[in-house]
Amino acid sequence: MKYLKHTLALVFLIISTVFITRYNLNDNILKVFCLVTISLFIFNLIFRKSLALKKYFTSRYNVFTSKFRSEKVYDISAELMFEKIIEVINNSNFKLAGTESNNFSILATSSISFSSWGESLYINFDNSKDGCVMRFCSVTLFGVYSWGKNENNYHEILKQIDDSLTI
Amino acid sequence: MPIIVNLDVMLAKRKMKLKELSEKVGVSTVNLSILKQGKVKAIRFSTLNAICEVLNCRPGDILEYAEKSESEI
Repeated sequence: MKYLKHTLALVFLIISTVFITRYNLNDNILKVFCLVTISLFIFNLIFRKSLALKKYFTSRYNVFTSKFRSEKVYDISAELMFEKIIEVINNSNFKLAGTESNNFSILATSSISFSSWGESLYINFDNSKDGCVMRFCSVTLFGVYSWGKNENNYHEILKQIDDSLTI
Repeated sequence: MPIIVNLDVMLAKRKMKLKELSEKVGVSTVNLSILKQGKVKAIRFSTLNAICEVLNCRPGDILEYAEKSESEI
């Protein structure tokens, strides 16, 4: 199923490229499209570490970023989990970009590599009846498809949390 | 879980704060708080050894096994 999604995304990319080049779209349309794309990319690159723009990056209407959302319940209070996650992120490959202790929000970023511009990880906690709920959202810097990077970030964070619960 | 962590009791007996224990043992206060609540997945022998050394107690003073009552089973 995972590879089917990747294959479909690749096919879509090839078809789009063929469509643009073969049907020789109007130059102005292409220029505007390129300008908008580059501007958005630069905007995202500059403001990716701002927790204040969480709504913009994680919005379902933002079609230029791919997102992966998930929730997990922990039987530990939100206050403790908030501090725990900060500790976990500081000991991992992710970089802590910002925190808001009043609503237990955390923003971490993954580093830029040859295969990715990096992703932003938005994590926040809400106290629940038996502990807390961790809400996780991994967002690509710029890209409509994440090639599984977002899901990998989630599983990486979960593994790191699990490992850190052995003291 | 039938394992009860009595770290807070031992801390009270030794009149020691969690932060002080954390500094002496080399384990973060967050981890000790989670241990105190009995929510950790596992505890290393090295950590247990360090805690016992600082608190001058035995592992049995910190960890206790409580059998499940019939209603819990």
